[in-house]
Amino acid sequence: MAEMTYREALNRALDEEMARDDRVFLIGEEVGEYDGAYKVSRGLLSKYGPKRVRDTPISELGFTGLGVGAAIAGLRPVVEWMTHNFALLALDQVVNNAAKLRQMSGGQLSVPIVFRGPNGPAEFLAAQHSQALGSYWMHVPGLKVVAPATPADAYGLLKSAIRNDNPVVMLEAELMYAWKGEVSEQEFLVPIGKARIAREGVDVTLITYSKPIRVVEEAADRLAEKGVQAEVIDLRSLRPLDEETIVNSVRKTGRCVVVDEAWPLASPGATIAHLVDSRCFDVLDAPVELVSGEDVPMPYNHTLELAAQPSVEKVIAAVAKVLYREDV
Amino acid sequence: MAEVLRMIALSPTMSEGRIAKWKMNEGTEFSSGDVLCEVETDKASMDYEAPTSASLLKIILQAGGTAKVGDPIAVIGQKGEDYASLLKERASEAGVAEKKAPGQQPSKEVSQKEKAVPGKTEQEPGSTPESAPQSDTENAPPRAPKASPASVGAAPRQTPQAPASVPPSSPLARKLALEKGIDIRLVPGSGPNGRVVERDILEFAERPKNTVVPEVAPQELRQGPTVIQPNMKRLVIARRLSESFFTAPHYFLKKKINAEALLELRATANAGRPAKLSFNAFLMKIVAEALVRHPEINVYWRVPAAASAADAAASPEPPTAMRPILEQRHSIDVGLAVALPDGLITPVVRDCNLKSASDIDAELAQLIEKARGGRLAPEEYEGAGFTVTNLGSFGIDEFTAIINPPGSAILAVGAIVKEPIVGDNDVIRVAQTLTLTLGCDHRSIDGAVGAVFLADLARMLENPGMALV
Repeated sequence: MAEMTYREALNRALDEEMARDDRVFLIGEEVGEYDGAYKVSRGLLSKYGPKRVRDTPISELGFTGLGVGAAIAGLRPVVEWMTHNFALLALDQVVNNAAKLRQMSGGQLSVPIVFRGPNGPAEFLAAQHSQALGSYWMHVPGLKVVAPATPADAYGLLKSAIRNDNPVVMLEAELMYAWKGEVSEQEFLVPIGKARIAREGVDVTLITYSKPIRVVEEAADRLAEKGVQAEVIDLRSLRPLDEETIVNSVRKTGRCVVVDEAWPLASPGATIAHLVDSRCFDVLDAPVELVSGEDVPMPYNHTLELAAQPSVEKVIAAVAKVLYREDV
Repeated sequence: MAEVLRMIALSPTMSEGRIAKWKMNEGTEFSSGDVLCEVETDKASMDYEAPTSASLLKIILQAGGTAKVGDPIAVIGQKGEDYASLLKERASEAGVAEKKAPGQQPSKEVSQKEKAVPGKTEQEPGSTPESAPQSDTENAPPRAPKASPASVGAAPRQTPQAPASVPPSSPLARKLALEKGIDIRLVPGSGPNGRVVERDILEFAERPKNTVVPEVAPQELRQGPTVIQPNMKRLVIARRLSESFFTAPHYFLKKKINAEALLELRATANAGRPAKLSFNAFLMKIVAEALVRHPEINVYWRVPAAASAADAAASPEPPTAMRPILEQRHSIDVGLAVALPDGLITPVVRDCNLKSASDIDAELAQLIEKARGGRLAPEEYEGAGFTVTNLGSFGIDEFTAIINPPGSAILAVGAIVKEPIVGDNDVIRVAQTLTLTLGCDHRSIDGAVGAVFLADLARMLENPGMALV
C-alpha cells in the first residue's frame, strides 16, 4: 500500500494505461505544456510526446468531437474537460454522437472514450463554475457515468473506463484532487456499476457519491457518538447504478437518506430516492430524505456558498427525521 | 370549470357520511362558506360548507344517501356549464369498479339495463336505496333511477379499511404489526401527524398484556376485533379437523348406559391406593377390549393426496393409484383428547388391549404431563386408531365429536348423572348414568357396524366382567 493523492492516482492510471496500450491518448486544455490545469497529467507530455498528449484551444465542442471521431476510428481517447461546467458546450458531441453511435450503427461502430474532469462546487467559483452536473450524463442511455470518491477508486475506475468499449463520463472534483488515500501498489481495476459500502451500520442507510462522502462520513461519526449506526454507501458509479447494494442495505435498515450536492430536481439523488421508495416501500419506516444542494444558482458570498451545499448538520437533521428522533 | 364535489371528512374519524339534507337545489349559486348540505357523520350532524364560490350544477347523491370520504356527491361549476363528460368519466370509473367487485349480491340485470339506456349513465355508488327518500325530487331534472342496487357497495365501499379511520403508519410498521398480530389502530403513533412507526409497534409488543392503552378512547377500543395470528398448533388443529369434518361423512350413535358397575369397579380398585386410577383409564381399557372384538372399527380410511373429493365423485372408478384405501389396523392404539390452554392435543396409549387399567393410567398421566409442557413427540400423539373424548368433568350431558383423522371413529363421553331408570320388574329407581355418543366415518363404517360395536361396548361398560369373556 502506498498513500497518494487522488490527482496522483489518476496520473498513475493514465500513465499505466498509456504505457499498456498505445491507442490511448490524452487531449484537452492545458493537459500538455502546463501539466494539466490541476496537474493530473503531470509528466505525461514529456514521457509520451505531443502526439499522445494534445493541448487544444478553448473549444470544448471541437476537441470533444475530435475525441469521438478518434474513438470511432479505433483510438482510445481520454478527453479532459477543465471542468464539467465547460463541458456544457460539448453536450451535443457526447449526447448525440458518443452515446448513440453504437446503437444507431447496429453495433458496427463503438466509441471507446473517456470524458473526465472536475464536477460540482469548489470554492469561490460563483454560479457558473460551481455546478454539479452529474444528472446531465446520468440521464443519457448509452453513457456510463462513474464518480470515484477515493484515490483508490479514482485509479481503478479510470483504468476500467479507459478499457471499456463504451463512452464513460468521469466526475471528479477540484477539492478532491488533494485528498489522500491508500492505493495498492499492485495494479487493480474497480468494476463500473459496483457500489462500495464505506461503512456498515444497521440504523439508517446514507447514500452518496463523489465529494460529499466526507460530509457523510463525518455525519456518520457524529451519529455513532449518539448510538446511531449509519451504513454509508458510496455509489462510485451513477450509471449503471448498483441497485442491489442499495436495496439490500435499505432492507436491512428500513431508513434512507440520500446525500447529493446537485440541485434537488431531476438529480441523481432524486432518482436514487425514487428507486429506494419503489423497491423498498414495504420496509421503509419513514419517507426517504434527500439532502441536496439548494435549488439556487451558487451564491458567490462564501457563507451563502457553504449554506447552499450539503453539510454535516443537514445530514444529521435528515437522519433525525427518518429515525423520528430529536436527540441525534 | 365544472368539478366533482366529494364527501370530505367532517370529523377526524369519519369514514363515510350520510346526506341529511341538501340546503339548496340544483342551479343555486353559492359563495365560499355557504352551507351546501348537512351531513350525518359517525358522531354528529355537520354542515358541509362550500369550498369555493360556484353553482350547484348537479346533485349526485340525494338526501338520505351515504358516501365514503372521497366519493362524489355533486358537481359544481359555472351556471350553464356542460358537465356531461365529467359524469361520463365517473360512470366508466364506476363501471370498472363494478367489474372489479364480484360477488355483490345485488342483481346484475339492473346494472346491465342501466348501462344499456343511453343518457342514464350516472351511477350513484354512495347511496343506499332503503334510506333514499322519494321527496324533494319533484322539481329536479330527469336523472338516473335512484340508487341502483347494483351500485351499492361498488368498489370504493369494498376497501377493507376505511382510510380515514386508520391512523397514518409507515409500511415497515404495518408489516411488523401484521407479523406480530397487532391491531395497528390500537397503537399510538409517535411520528408526524400521529404516524405509527417501527418503534411504536415494538414498544406496543413489549407492553404488558393487561395495560390499558390510555391514548386510545374507550370507544376506539370497543371497535373491531383484535387480529390474532394463530399459532402453528391452532393452525394444525384447524386444518386437520376441517379436513375430517368436511371430507368424512360423520354420523352419530347415542347410547345411555348405567355406569354403576363401572364406578363400583373403580372404587374397588382404588380402595387403599394412594393415587386413584382415573375413570378414563377404565374407559379406555374397556374400549380397547371392545375394539379387539370389533376390528372393523379400528380402521383408517386413507385418501391419496391427489384424489380430491371432486375427482372421486366425477368418476366411479378412479385410477388405482388415486383410489382411497381401507387400512385394517392390528394394534389397539387409543387416543384421549386433552384440553390445554393453547389448544387440544390427543396423546395415544399404544396396545391398550395388552395393558392393565393401571398401566394405562400411569402412561396417560405421563403423556398428559409432557403435553402440558409442550414436549409431546409426534409419535406420542399421532396414529390413534380410535379416540376417546370426555367432557363429563364439564358437566356436559352428551355431545358429538369430530373424528380424529385418519381414524374412523370417536367416542364422546358425557357426564355421570343420577337419573331415574326402569330397573328389574319395571321398578323405577335412581341410577348413575352416562351418555355415549359414537361418531363414525360412514366411508369406512356403516351404521349397522357402528351400532353393533356401540351396543357391545355399552354392555361391557355396564358389566365390566364381560371384558373377560
